[in-house]
Order: sequence, then structure tokens, then C-alpha cells
Amino acid sequence: MASLMTRFRSRLALRAAASIVAIVGVLGIAFLLTAVHLRAESEKSVQQMRLEGLIATVERTAQIACFLDDAQLAGEVTQGLLSNRIVREARLIRHDGSALADRVTAIDHDSGAPLTRAIESPFEPGQQVCELTLVPDQDWIDSMVNDATRFLSVALVLQLLGLGVSVILVVFYFVTRPISDISQKLHALEAETGQKLSSPSGHYKDEIGRLVLSVNAMIDRLVSSLSEERRQRLAREIEERRYRTLFDNVEAGIFELDDQGQLLSANPAFCRLFLGGRPLDPAGPPIAFTALSGEGGPTMQELTSRRARRDSPRQWEMAVGDGKYRRWVSVMVSRLEEGRLQGVAHDITERRRAAEAAEKLAVTDPLTGLGNRLGFERRLDVIQRYQRLHPDRQHALMVLDFDHFKQVNDVYGHHAGDEVLRQIAGMLLATSRQHDYPARLGGDEFVLLLDHRTPLTDLTELAQRLIDSINRPLILASGQQVRLGVSIGIAVLGRDTRDVQTLIQLADQAMYRAKREGRNTWRCHDPNITLES
Amino acid sequence: MTRFTRWIRVTTIALLFIGTTARADIAIVINDASTVRQISHSEAVNIFMGRYRRLPNDSVALPIDQAPIKARFYRALVQKDMAEINSYWARLVFSGRASPPQQAGNSEDFLDIMTHNNNALGYVDAARTPPHMRVLLTLSE
Repeated sequence: MASLMTRFRSRLALRAAASIVAIVGVLGIAFLLTAVHLRAESEKSVQQMRLEGLIATVERTAQIACFLDDAQLAGEVTQGLLSNRIVREARLIRHDGSALADRVTAIDHDSGAPLTRAIESPFEPGQQVCELTLVPDQDWIDSMVNDATRFLSVALVLQLLGLGVSVILVVFYFVTRPISDISQKLHALEAETGQKLSSPSGHYKDEIGRLVLSVNAMIDRLVSSLSEERRQRLAREIEERRYRTLFDNVEAGIFELDDQGQLLSANPAFCRLFLGGRPLDPAGPPIAFTALSGEGGPTMQELTSRRARRDSPRQWEMAVGDGKYRRWVSVMVSRLEEGRLQGVAHDITERRRAAEAAEKLAVTDPLTGLGNRLGFERRLDVIQRYQRLHPDRQHALMVLDFDHFKQVNDVYGHHAGDEVLRQIAGMLLATSRQHDYPARLGGDEFVLLLDHRTPLTDLTELAQRLIDSINRPLILASGQQVRLGVSIGIAVLGRDTRDVQTLIQLADQAMYRAKREGRNTWRCHDPNITLES
Repeated sequence: MTRFTRWIRVTTIALLFIGTTARADIAIVINDASTVRQISHSEAVNIFMGRYRRLPNDSVALPIDQAPIKARFYRALVQKDMAEINSYWARLVFSGRASPPQQAGNSEDFLDIMTHNNNALGYVDAARTPPHMRVLLTLSE
């Protein structure tokens, strides 16, 4: 049963034939029922007419028999009627209801609707002499009807069978066979080689032929798009390889971050910069970029906020590693796609060191290693800004002027002078604290800018200590001894003035006062004296 | 000539009509000694066509056919010609249930039967009813 159903589903011809036979069968049964009904009706009326005809035939004799009340003649009449098989019973009934003649045949058969006819006198029309009743043989009528309809049924069934077989053959020949033919060809077709499907013979111009044309057109499109895709894939692979080579070998670190700021991928250069040469393990624990970067790096907020992600490329310069291994890296991060950032990292340590060195050189006195005038002025600017922010913090400035330094150059030569200057610088450094700023502004002009952390109460002691250490004989490399005196002027920013230029002037004035008042001593700025002078 | 011929023709047709009218009516008669005064048309039919032979006074009727006017009589009585009447009687020969009226060859025989039998029932031309005969029913043609 199941296999029959499968076969039914898989056979177009069978299904089409079954559908058509079913439809024709339903219609046929309806037609058959109608036809049988009509045929039966007409057969009945035929039988009725036959009965009428029989009555007409015997009417005259029956009239005479009734007129004369002749039972013998009436019997002849009824017997004669019964010889026709359609009549089961014939009777002639007198006016008073008694039977003149009553004959019955085929007793076991059913009776039909009786047909009664009034029999008039043969000589006086209108005067009824008796009644003739014919009872038809229903079984015989039915058998006649059945005979008539049986032929119809058989003809219709044969027609249905013929139709079904014809439909199966036609569908098989015109539809199923070409389609399965195409299907087999399509199965064996090697489309890549440009092979085409051929139409089954006799179907070049019909729907099946057009189907084949459509399939061929589709094969063409598929093959061309396939080769195009193959070409593009090759191009993409080359591009990929090129990119991979760049990615692996470029000096710049290239990396990708997700929207949580965690590393998705990194090239070897990035690993060298940030991970100490370890390759990034994609299966390992996630590494946040902010954990890798030190001073100057972006915060997680900067990296992952919605605004930051939408923005154009951003750049940071950050420190990586500590101490000797500390490197400076410039990182540019741009948005690659939603939830994906791409970054490029450059090692800028050398450049930064060079810049730092150049900066240091610009503010350093090459002879003594102390700050030069530019450094001093920058430091003054810094202090001036700091003082504005913190007016209560006080910074002292000492201006040093060596007594008779010119003679050292003249007597011992410039080399000796330079050496003296270097030794003085060493003394300044030794005397001052780390935060203080000693500088040589030029020639033998030295200053010491004290940090606010150096208490003012220590000023005099510090000045005296400085004078004392300078007063000690300096021993040159040549073994000669040099003695120097120094005059020191002191002014305090935040107490004497709030302006750094004024501070220098005040310190200078105090220094000149020290010179005037005996040399080799120190003087603080005294407002009264300044006003006098 | 033409006018004369037409006159002759018209006159002839008129005379024929007059003659036919003069011949009309057949009377069913019985000996006036009978007690029967009259019979209905239906009783006449039944008696002459053999259904029964009984007079209204319950005596047995004896119908007599008279050859010269037999055809006229049956046409007047049941509107049938002689062929039909003969066929009718021929049909009944074998059953013996009914028999045709007694046949009188000529007027003498007829009058003889009628005169000597009070129950004899005959028919004559209404215009020439014989003496001692009572008319029971007049059939118009």
C-alpha cells in the first residue's frame, strides 16, 4: 500500500490519470445516474404507451363483450392481453363491481400502478358498460429498464477506462518521458566544461524545449558567476597574502581591539613592543589594551566610550615597560567597524630620547653641566606660574658674583678658568638640594634658584656655607692653588616681589650691596635700602 | 342554353332534397294488440343488438329485420353501416351468447310475422305505417 502511494507520488502520468479518471468518474457517475433516471422514466412512459396501445387494440372486442355481458368473449380478451409479458393481470369489471373476466399471470412478480379504462357501449357513446383494468408486471418493466441502463453503464465505464489509459499514455509520452529524459541528461551534465542540455526530440518549440533553454541559460549564468567568483577568490587570496606579509613583517605594531578594549589580534611587531616578544595567544585569557600601556596611554573610558568609538582616529604617546626596558610608543586607534578598533603602534623611543636630549642640551651649560640662561628663564617661567597658583609659597634666588675672577683667567689661562668654573658648579650642586636649580648664566655669573621646599630660615646658613666652600683654596689639575671670594645677593619671590624679573633685579641689587659692603659676603634684599639707593 | 342547364340542375337538387325529407323517419312498431305503448331508444338498441330480448311489459321481445330498409334502420338506430353490423354478429357466432334478429325477406313475410306475433318488434318507414300496428318509437334519420 505504502509502495503504491510512493509510486503514485512519484509518477506524474499515474497521478494525472488518476485525477482525470477521478473527475471523469464523478462526472460520469452523475451523468450515469441522470441518464439511468431519464432512461427509466422514458422506459416507463414507453411501457405506459404500450399498455395504452394494448387497451386500444382490444377495446372494441371488450366493448362488445361488456355490452353483451359475454364472459367467454371477455375471457378471450383478457387472455389475449396476458399473452403480452408486460401485463401481469387483466380484468373486466361490470358496472355493479362484479368481475366479468379476471386473469392473472406471473403471480410471484410485483405489480405496477394499474391502468384503468372505462369501456363504453359500442352503440351508445357515453354509456359506460364496464371497466378494463390492466396491472403491469413491474418486475418485467424493471428488467427492461435494467437492460437499457446496463448498456449505458458498461459503455460509460469502458469510456472511462479508455480515457484513463489514453491520459496515462499521452502524459507519459508528452510530459513524463521528456522530463525524465531531461532529468537524466541534467544529472550527467558537466556544466563546468561548457556542456549544454539538448531538447528531447520533438520538443524544440514547446514548453519542454523552453525549459531546456531556461536551464541552459541558468547554467551559463552559474558557470560565469562561478568563474568570476573563483577569480575574485584568487585575487583576494593574493591580497590576503600580501597583507599577511605586511602584517607579519612590518616594523609598526598592528592590532585590533573589541569594544571592551581587549586585544583580538596582534602582529609580531606589536608583540615585541607590548608583550615582550610573546605571541598573542587567541585562546588565552583576554588582554586589555589599557593593562599594557603605561604613562600617557588611553583610559578604558577613552578607548571604549561610544563617542570615542565613533570619532576619527586618535593618537596617544605612551610608555611601555619599566626602567631600562621602558619604551615610548605612539599608538593611533581608529574605528574599523562596529565593535572593532584597529590600532597602529610605532616605537618612538629613539626619537623621544633624541628630543629629550636636544631639550636638555638647549637648557644646559656645556661647560659646567648646570642650567644655562635659557634653562634658568624657563625655570623662572615655571616658578612664576607656580607662584601665581600658590601665592604663599616662597622661592629664594641667589645671585653669585665672584670677586676678581677675571684675574684667574689672566694669570692661569682660560683652561684654568674653566676648571675653576667646573669646581664652583660642583660646589653649588653639593650645597643645593635636588629640587633647587643652579645655573650659569654666562662667564662667572652663577645663580641658584631655590625651591619653595627649602626653608627661608636656612637661607643665611646656606649662603654662608656656600661662601665658606668657595673660599677654600681650589686645587687645579696642574697642582696650582686658587683662592676666590664671592658676593651673594638674595631676594625672595613671594616676600620681596611677585614678579620674577623684579626678583632678578632685587637679587642683583642685594649682590651689589654685598660687593660694596666688603665683598665675600651675602646680603638679603632690604626694602628700605633699596628705596634709598 | 347555359341558363337553361343551370335551371335544370338547381331544380333537380331541390327535388332531391325534398325527396330525402319525404323519406325520413323510421318507426319501430308492434302489433297494436300488445300492451306495450312505447320503448326508449336505449331499449330499442338493447333488443335489436341482442343484449336482451325483453319488452317493458316483461314479455320476450322478437325483433324482426326487414331487408329493404335494414341499412336505413341500423344507420338511424346506432349510426353504423351494414358492414359493421354484419361484423358485429359474425364476432358473436361462436360464443352463442346473442343472436341477430329474425330476418324477414319481404313486406309480406314481415307483415305476416308482425300480425301473428304480439311480441314481434319491427320497423317500417314512418310514412307508411301498416294498419293495426302501434308506433313505439320514431327514429329520425
